Amino acid sequence: MLKRLLLLGIVSGVLAGIVALIYQKVYSSSVGADFSAIAKPVGIMISNIVGCLIAAVGYWILSKWLKGKTEIVFNFIFMILSFASMLPAFAAKLPLDVASPELFPGLVIPMHFFPALAWFTLEPLFIKNTD
Amino acid sequence: MATLLSLVVVFAFAPAGNWQMTDKYTVRFAGGGEVGGIFKTMKGSIVFDEQNLAASNFDLSIDVASINTGNGLMNTHAKSAEWFEAAKYPVIRFTSKKIVKNGVAYQVTGDMEIHGVKKELTLPFSFQNKGATGIFSGTFTINRSDFHIGKPGGDVEENIKLDISVPVVKK
Repeated sequence: MLKRLLLLGIVSGVLAGIVALIYQKVYSSSVGADFSAIAKPVGIMISNIVGCLIAAVGYWILSKWLKGKTEIVFNFIFMILSFASMLPAFAAKLPLDVASPELFPGLVIPMHFFPALAWFTLEPLFIKNTD
Repeated sequence: MATLLSLVVVFAFAPAGNWQMTDKYTVRFAGGGEVGGIFKTMKGSIVFDEQNLAASNFDLSIDVASINTGNGLMNTHAKSAEWFEAAKYPVIRFTSKKIVKNGVAYQVTGDMEIHGVKKELTLPFSFQNKGATGIFSGTFTINRSDFHIGKPGGDVEENIKLDISVPVVKK
């Protein structure tokens, strides 16, 4: 079970990372603000994979406790944490040579939901009849 | 011949030490803790001659909307009615009246207009003369309450430290 969850974590992390990089490219070209020096592609990829791996471990721990209600509780927690994680983006203080910091939350806030979306998309392929 | 004569007259009476600001200038401010930032846009004219301070003068204006604190929400807040009211008072302007030598540096007295409030201030500055180029720099504090900027107290200190550096080239 843990092995499958970790695999799901890695695959969904990679998927979320790819989507985030595409989104970054589209966002930068559409609004004309380049934040690639702050939100570096490698950092985006690693944070998505790490985030999904933590989710995998979290799911596994919850499944030990909750048995039949793991999925609904996990999904709920995952969305709350995704939502909470976007709040620091509003408070982020960027280097002063970076123009238009007001556009920064528009870049990173959607990214904070990509791990959950990727997880929810791929979960049926990895976790079947676990509860 | 008339044109040549006009040119001679123009150059004869042109103030010595006319300087052009380069785009490498910086206008930094700090108001304690996390509060700080820059103004990105400044323009104006600088006439400065170390040998003739009486004929020297500064007329500088800073675009309030160019404020950058590094945080979008803080930028919006700074431009709002509670702080600089950028829509109504789009520039910070300093017009000099008198420049005097102060040791190895100088002091300029002039009118500072911020947020619609004009106040006479005396500010210290130094000038590094490198021949065809030079750098004006000055560090001083301004009491924001004197200009009705923000509410007294809070996270932002009353005295805002300004650090200005203006590289120039001779015209």
